[in-house]
Amino acid sequence: MTPTEPLVRGSAAPAAVRPPLPVKMVVAGGFGVGKTTAVGSISEIEPLTTEASITEVAAGVDDLTHTPRKTTTTVAMDFGCLTIDPTLKLYLFGTPGQERFGFMWDDIVEGAVGGLVIVDTRRLDDCYAAVDHFEHRDIPFAVAVNAFDGRVEHTLDEVRWALDVPDGVPVVVFDARDRGSVRDALLVVLELALARTEL
Amino acid sequence: MVMADGATGPDPVGPAPAVRPFLVTAGRVADDGSGRALPLETQVVATAEGLAVLAGLSFERYDIVDACRLPQSLAELAARLRLHLNVVRVLAEDLREAGQLAVYVPDAGASRDASVLRRLIDGLKAVPDSRGVPSDTD
Repeated sequence: MTPTEPLVRGSAAPAAVRPPLPVKMVVAGGFGVGKTTAVGSISEIEPLTTEASITEVAAGVDDLTHTPRKTTTTVAMDFGCLTIDPTLKLYLFGTPGQERFGFMWDDIVEGAVGGLVIVDTRRLDDCYAAVDHFEHRDIPFAVAVNAFDGRVEHTLDEVRWALDVPDGVPVVVFDARDRGSVRDALLVVLELALARTEL
Repeated sequence: MVMADGATGPDPVGPAPAVRPFLVTAGRVADDGSGRALPLETQVVATAEGLAVLAGLSFERYDIVDACRLPQSLAELAARLRLHLNVVRVLAEDLREAGQLAVYVPDAGASRDASVLRRLIDGLKAVPDSRGVPSDTD
């Protein structure tokens, strides 16, 4: 598959270089769990930071109308990329962690091939929002427990139980600093996405 | 500024711009309700026409066309030019309408296309780990 035809008005011809098809994966999780480290481990460029807008839905418990109040927040977002071949390029976007319940990052996850939720077992609750979001948006995702200092505080079954992730969601241990480890965690997500296309 | 991981690091974008984003875009916003904003990974590349008139472009428009001699994503462009993503979105649309920038909106179906996924998997498997060992040799 190739990108859609360029939207160029008039007779102007694009410059010689035809861009690759970009495919996006989302790396999510709470603050400081290693998202940027993981992106940097596999990216062919130093991770870049840009400002993006996310829409937050404030879930007020005393709001009897059940009408979410939306606010737009500008956040810093780190990302990197990996050229698969001249026609295909993988982008990895690290989504900012948010502790608030019920936020949306539609701007970032729209069209994503899959997601990786990075978990620090010392702070499991930091990643609930990311898990919820991928589930809600029906985006294939895996949970990757970042083994800080090579140690994991809980077994994977305990993590699965604590996060209440469905059986179909892989839970793996990885090291965000290690390129091969990040690569293998991303492969788990891609295999999951591929399996879905064959249902 | 607060980094994506929550750490307060050195500001990667330098001093705050003196000009607010809505002034750069003459008050327009990227998502004006008429449709979806361009995805972050949308690829943009300067057209021959854009490069031909480069010297006549000003400020951000010059920077964008100049930076797009090679294709890149809107996200990369925003990061490298230190512009807000939504500013880049609006200006990219302007430059496209002027025929100075080719904008390749990614195919929404690509992320569920098995052939694309297989190419990604094969390509990623070939990436060596820190010791130089690709994934598919073990």
